[in-house]
Amino acid sequence: MSMGAYLAAIRSALPEGILDNEQLAGEFEGWSAEKIYTKTGIRSRHIARADECGSDLAVKAAERLISDTGIERSSIDYLLYCTQTPDYQMPTTACLVQHRLRLPTSCAALDYNLGCSGYVYGLGLCKALIESNQANRILLITADTYSKIVNPADKSVRTIFGDGATASLLVASEQPNVTGPFVYGTDGSGEANILIPASGARRRREPDAALVADDSGNARTVNDLYMNGSEVFNFTLRIVPDVVNRLLTTAKATKDSVDLFVFHQANGFLLDHLRRKLEIPREKFVVCMERIGNTVSSSIPFALQDCARTGKLRSNALVMLVAFGVGYSWGATLLRWGDAELSA
Amino acid sequence: MVSYIVMARSEFLRALERQMEVAEGALKEDQLLSQTEGWDSMASVLFIALADEKLGAIVSGNQIAQASTVGDLLNLVGDRFTP
Repeated sequence: MSMGAYLAAIRSALPEGILDNEQLAGEFEGWSAEKIYTKTGIRSRHIARADECGSDLAVKAAERLISDTGIERSSIDYLLYCTQTPDYQMPTTACLVQHRLRLPTSCAALDYNLGCSGYVYGLGLCKALIESNQANRILLITADTYSKIVNPADKSVRTIFGDGATASLLVASEQPNVTGPFVYGTDGSGEANILIPASGARRRREPDAALVADDSGNARTVNDLYMNGSEVFNFTLRIVPDVVNRLLTTAKATKDSVDLFVFHQANGFLLDHLRRKLEIPREKFVVCMERIGNTVSSSIPFALQDCARTGKLRSNALVMLVAFGVGYSWGATLLRWGDAELSA
Repeated sequence: MVSYIVMARSEFLRALERQMEVAEGALKEDQLLSQTEGWDSMASVLFIALADEKLGAIVSGNQIAQASTVGDLLNLVGDRFTP
């Protein structure tokens, strides 16, 4: 019997610290809390403590998953860890997390560096690993603390990003629900539009870097995240409708047959624009970022978990996931939502 | 397929003013963007969204960065307006 990948459960963790619009409005002249909400769809975000890393949130999310599903730690044979804010440049954060979760030393573990497109790529990798008999039970973790790479004086990104982590359990099953198809895309010409200039081997971190303000009054150093909002907006307008259509064509499915659309939760304004552009009914389109902001690769699993909890995701629902962002990198897939969480 | 609203330059300007939450008539074609109240990175995103929604034109951020006046901005989508 050939086995496929079944997404059995999703759990998450948020840091306790909260940054709300009232605080931001107090810091940035000319912005009111309501204006920030209107332009972003976000009222507050969770922010990690100075000594709190993505891995700490990841371990919390994974412990919840292990405890709620009752899965044996010893049965997890693969750990995939998606992050752009690893604990160290080396060693690989996934290795640290294997140890902290007391997963067996026979478990494979690796990081992959993707931002907002990460969850769809993770599901695609899980499907391939399970179908090729390389893994039976995979822990797929997404974890980021962008607050550590955002300059406090840069409202263009500080108003948007929030910290958080999610853990998904994918198991080999005779009735898989991660069956694809998957469509992907990459355009590295977007390099300069979302990046941390001094963050790797090409340009090392510069301890004495100057704080420079742009025309809009947002200030950052070369060690901080930079996002060219209008170029990134342009990118999503160009690729999202195309990737949605490519996925529907590949799957021989229609837009009407999709029960729920879960896009990367980039910002409320962009999501609303894309929804109208693609003529997706409001009730089928998930917006789940008011209290967590843009959580990068965690945004889709956060939204799925929330929809499952609130009953918006019903058993057997056909869900379209569309993820896009830094790279540029993008991907989309269809998922048949399972009827029950695994309790092993 | 979405059908786009046929729109004159002046109508588009008024729509942009509403998006930017500035007074009607605040935007004038010969005005320098650098001296235009409310013109910032968020406003350029609003412009891209409006051009896409109303005119079906996808403008790039780099094109916008080249524009110096409000009129230059409209010229980026100039062929989409009704005379």
